[in-house]
Amino acid sequence: MTGAALASLLPLPVALPIAGAAAAPLLARISGRLPVIVSLVALGGAVTVLLLEAPAVFGGRVLVHYMGFWKPVNGHALGIAFAADPFGLLFALAAAVIGAILLLYTLSELGGLGPRELGGYACLFQLLLAALIGAALTADLFNLFVWFEVAALASYGLTGFFLERPIALEAAFKILVLTTLASFSIFIGAGLLYARHGALNYAQLHDALRGHVAAPDLIALGLLIGGFATKAGLVPFHGWLADAHTAAPGPVSALFSGLMVNLGIVAIVRVVFCVYGPGSAPVLGLLLTVGLISALLGAVMALAQDDLKRLLAYDTVSQMGILAVGLSTGTATGIGGAVYHLINHALFKSLLFLCAGAVVHRTGLTKLSEMGGLARRMPVVTTAFVIGALSIAGIPPFNGYVSLGLIHSALLDQHEVAAYILMLIAQVITIAALGRAAWLAFFRPREAGHGKLEQLRPGMLAGLASLAGCCVAFGVAPGFFLETVMAPAVSGLLNPARYASAVLAGAGRLPGLHIPFDYASPGELASAGACLVVAGALAWGYLRISEPAPVRVLRAAHNGSANDYAAYAVTGTLAVIAVLSLAR
Amino acid sequence: MQPPDRQPPDRQPFAGQPPDRQRTDGRARQEATEHEPIHRPWLGTLIVAGMAAALAAAMAGIPREHAALPAIARYALEVALPKWGLTEPVNEVVYGTRGFDTFGETFLLLAAIISVVLITRPRESRRGYFGEETAAGREQSESDPAEPDDAREDAARSAEGQEQDERRPADQAGPRTPDQTPLGSAAPETAEAMTVVVRTAIRVALPILAVAGLYLVAWGYSPGGGFPGGAVIMGVILLVYAGFGHRRISRIARPGLLEAIEIAGAAAIILTELLGLVLKGSFSANWLPLAAPQTILSGGIAQLFSASELIEVGTGLTIAVFALLAMEHDWTPDEQDVSREDSEASENSGTAGDSENTDGSEGSAGPESGSGEAGDRPRGRSRR
Amino acid sequence: MILANYLTSAAVFCIGLYAVLTRRNMIKMVMGLSLMEASTYLFMLSLAYRAGSTAPVLLSPPPGESTRALAHGNVADPVLQNFCLTAVVIGVAVTAVFLSVVVRIAQHYRTLDSDKVREMRG
Repeated sequence: MTGAALASLLPLPVALPIAGAAAAPLLARISGRLPVIVSLVALGGAVTVLLLEAPAVFGGRVLVHYMGFWKPVNGHALGIAFAADPFGLLFALAAAVIGAILLLYTLSELGGLGPRELGGYACLFQLLLAALIGAALTADLFNLFVWFEVAALASYGLTGFFLERPIALEAAFKILVLTTLASFSIFIGAGLLYARHGALNYAQLHDALRGHVAAPDLIALGLLIGGFATKAGLVPFHGWLADAHTAAPGPVSALFSGLMVNLGIVAIVRVVFCVYGPGSAPVLGLLLTVGLISALLGAVMALAQDDLKRLLAYDTVSQMGILAVGLSTGTATGIGGAVYHLINHALFKSLLFLCAGAVVHRTGLTKLSEMGGLARRMPVVTTAFVIGALSIAGIPPFNGYVSLGLIHSALLDQHEVAAYILMLIAQVITIAALGRAAWLAFFRPREAGHGKLEQLRPGMLAGLASLAGCCVAFGVAPGFFLETVMAPAVSGLLNPARYASAVLAGAGRLPGLHIPFDYASPGELASAGACLVVAGALAWGYLRISEPAPVRVLRAAHNGSANDYAAYAVTGTLAVIAVLSLAR
Repeated sequence: MQPPDRQPPDRQPFAGQPPDRQRTDGRARQEATEHEPIHRPWLGTLIVAGMAAALAAAMAGIPREHAALPAIARYALEVALPKWGLTEPVNEVVYGTRGFDTFGETFLLLAAIISVVLITRPRESRRGYFGEETAAGREQSESDPAEPDDAREDAARSAEGQEQDERRPADQAGPRTPDQTPLGSAAPETAEAMTVVVRTAIRVALPILAVAGLYLVAWGYSPGGGFPGGAVIMGVILLVYAGFGHRRISRIARPGLLEAIEIAGAAAIILTELLGLVLKGSFSANWLPLAAPQTILSGGIAQLFSASELIEVGTGLTIAVFALLAMEHDWTPDEQDVSREDSEASENSGTAGDSENTDGSEGSAGPESGSGEAGDRPRGRSRR
Repeated sequence: MILANYLTSAAVFCIGLYAVLTRRNMIKMVMGLSLMEASTYLFMLSLAYRAGSTAPVLLSPPPGESTRALAHGNVADPVLQNFCLTAVVIGVAVTAVFLSVVVRIAQHYRTLDSDKVREMRG
C-alpha cells in the first residue's frame, strides 16, 4: 500500500471504537455481554489498522492525512490533520491493545452486571479509548481539545459507575470540577494562540512560534500546560486523581491510570516539543520541578494510604512525575526513558489495578488494614500483583528497570545530581509503599473467613497473564524495543522542525537515532539493589511507627474539598504562567 | 399511603445554607465542620486577582478588531461557495471542512447522554457476587451513621418522598391543575396539565417552533444547523410535557424508542463520514454531488451531517432531560435500612466464593429480566 | 473598542472562578463553572469580530457586488464562531452531567455542602 493510502486509513482506529460505542446501548437490549463483545471486535479492527501503519511509521516515516483532503494552502491549514509519527502511533497502539485487554477482563469479571449498565459501560469505555487514540494521532490543537473533552465526558460516567457507593459520586463531582476548569484553561489557551497566529495546526503554529515567543504566547503555554497537567495528575493539579480511582470499577481504574492520565502527558509533549519546541521557552526546568515534586509527594502519599486502590492512584501521581522528569532532560536518553516509562506505566499500573479491583470485587474489602492472608486464597492475583510491584520497583528483569535506568543516566549525563538523588528517594518510598501494601494485603498471616475466593475465569487469566507477560518482555528485550520503537519516537520529538515540515508537506521522514542502554551497568544494578534494601527497611519501620508529622501535614492538605482542590489547580496554573513569563 | 405533610414554603430542602445555621444543626459529620474554612474568601480573592492579571496581560497582547482576518478564516470564506455550494461559511466549517471536530463533538454529546443515563439509572439485577456492593454498604453506613435525623434531613427526606409518591399513580396525584395547588408547595409535577391559557398558548406555539427547528436545518445555507435545530426540537417535546403532562408524550418519549432513533442518527453520522473514505479516499470527504446553492440539498454531505445531527441532538437531549426527571431514589438505603444492609453484607461475604448464583439480596431476578424501563427495582425503596 | 469585550469576558471568568473557589454549595459551584463557560463564548466571539464587520454569510450581496466580493469583504471570523458552537455544546453536556451527579450526591449525603461531601481525603 502506498503511503497516502495508508495515511488515509488513520481515522479508522478512532471511528471503529466510536461505531462500537454508538451501537452499545442498542445491543445491550439484546444481551448485556454483546456490547462488550462487539467492542472487542471494534478494538481488534483498530489494532489491525494501527499495526498496518506500524512498519512504515516506526521505520521513520510520518504519515499525514488531511480529513476530506483539505490540505494546507500556502502553509495555512484549515482542515484537520492526522499525523502518525512514531510517538503518537505508539501511544495509540498501547491504548487500543491495553483497552482491548481491559474490556476482555471486564467481560469475565463484571459480566454479571445488569445488561443496561454494562451497555453504558462499554459505550463510555470505547468512547474514552477512541478519544485517546484521536488525541495521540491528531496534529491540530483544537481537535486535540475536542478529544480531550470526549475523554473527559466519558470518564465522568465511568467514575460514578457504582452508584451505590457514595464515594463514587463524590469522586465524580471532583473530577467534573477540576476537569472542567482544565478544559477552560485549554480552550482559552488555544483561543489565544489562534488569535495571535491564526493557526491551529501544530506545524503551522510551530513555524509561527519558532524564534520569537512573545508574552501572550507564554501565557497561552502556561494555560495549556496547566490544563493538560490536570489531566495528567501532576502536583498540584492532582486533587481528583486519587478519589476517581478509588471508587471506580477495577478495569476503569486501570483505564484511567494506565491510559487516560497519559493523555495529559502526550498532550504536554505535543505542546512543548512539537508546537513550541523545547528550546523556545524555559519550560524544561519547570517540568523538572513539577516532576520531582509529583514524584516525591505521590510516593509519600502512597506510603500513607490505607485504601489499596487509593495507594495505587497516588503512585500514579508519582509515576507521572517521573515521566515529567524524563521529558525535562531534553536529551535522547531521557526522553527515550520517559517514552519507555509511559508504556511501562500503562502496562504495570493496569496490571496492579486489575489485581486491586479483583480483590475488591471478590472480597468486598477496600482497606489494607482489613485485608490479609490473601496470598493463599488468590494465588494468581497475588503473583500478578508482585510482578507489577517489582516492575514499578525497577528490579531487573522487569520493565521498570530499563526506563528508570535510562532516566537516571540522562540525569547524570546532565550533572543533575540533586534531581538524581531525589528520584532515588522517590523510588525508595515507592517501593516501600508497594511492599507495605503487598505485605498487608497478601502475605501477612491472617485468617479471614472467606473460604477460597479465587474464581479465575479464562478472560481474567488472559488479561492478567498478557499484561504481566508484557511487563517481562519489555524488561528483557530493551535493545529491541529501544531500537525499533522508542528511538524513532524520540527522533520525532527532538526534531520538531522535521515533524512540522512533514505535517505541512503531507509526508516526511525522521532522522535515525540511537539510544544506548547498558543493561548490566554496575551503577544502575547497585542502585536498584540499594533502593530495594533501603525500601525494605523503610516499609518495615513504617509499619511500626505512628504517622510522622510531615506526612500528617500532607494528608491534611488533601482535605477532600472540591473548592480547595480547585484552588490548588488554579494556583498551579498561575505559578506555571508566572514562572514561564518571568524566567524568560 | 398518607397524605404528604406540607412544608412551609420557606423551607428549602437542600438550598444554600448560611454557614451559621449550618453549624447549629450539622452534627452528622462534625469533623467536616470542626473548623470553618475562613481562608477561602481571602485566598480566593488572591487567586482570582492573579488570574485576572494573567488574563488581562494575555488579552492586552492579542490582536484587536483592526487586524486582518487569519488566512485560514479567509480560506473558509473562499471555499464555502465554490467547493460546498454553501452560502453559510460557519456551517461549512462546522459540518464540512472541519467536520471531523464536529464528529468528535457529536460523540462527546453521546458520552454526556450515556453518562447522564448511567448516573440516573434505576437498580438492575446483577448476577454473581459484587464485593463493591458490600463495600458500598459499609461506606454508606460510615457516611451516614445511624443517629437521629436532624430537622434538615427530615425536611429533605419528606420533600423527596412527597415528590416520588406523587409521581406514581394518577389517582393519588394531587390537584388537577396548579391553580388548585397551594402556593409554595413542593413538586410542580403534581399537576396533570397546565391551565387552559398555557395549553392554548402551547398549541399555537408548537407547530411554529417545530417548523422553525426543522427550518434551521433544512435551509442549511442560512445560519442554523443541527445543533440549534435539535435543541429547538427538544424544546418542543418539553413544552408538550410541561403543558399537557407526561401522559400525552409517554407514547413518544419512551427510552426504547428515543434511544433507537438517537443511535440511528449517530450511525448516520458515522456512515456519512465513513463513506467519504470508501468512495473518495478520505474520511469526511464530500461524496455527494453538489446541488445548486441556496437549495435544500446544497452543501453535499454537510447538509446530510447537519440533518443527522438534528436527530441525534434532539433525541439525545430529550433522553437526558427525561432521565433526570425520572430519576428515583433507589440506590441509597435510608437509615432504618442500614442495619439490614449490613447484615446482608456480612452474609454475602460469608458465602462469597461459592457460586455464580450467590445472588446477594436480589435472588428472584432472572438474567435478562432487568430492562431499564420495566421499572423493576429489586431493592428500590423510598421513604413513605 | 473590542478590548473592553476581552476584559469583560475576563471579568466574568473571574467572577465564576471566585464562586468555584469559595462557594461550598455544589449548585453554586456549577453556576460558577457555567459563568466561566459563558465568558469563553464572549471571548471567542469578540475575537471573531472585526471593526465594522458583518456576519459571515454570503447571502444577498448589496447591489452591484458579487458573493465573491463578500467573501473577501469585511466579515467576522467563521472559524472562531465554529469554536464557539463547539463550546456551547460542551457546556450543555457538562452541565447535564454535573446536575445529575449533584442530585445523586444529595440523595446519598443529604446535603449539598461540598465540605460535608468529603469521605475521601488524605
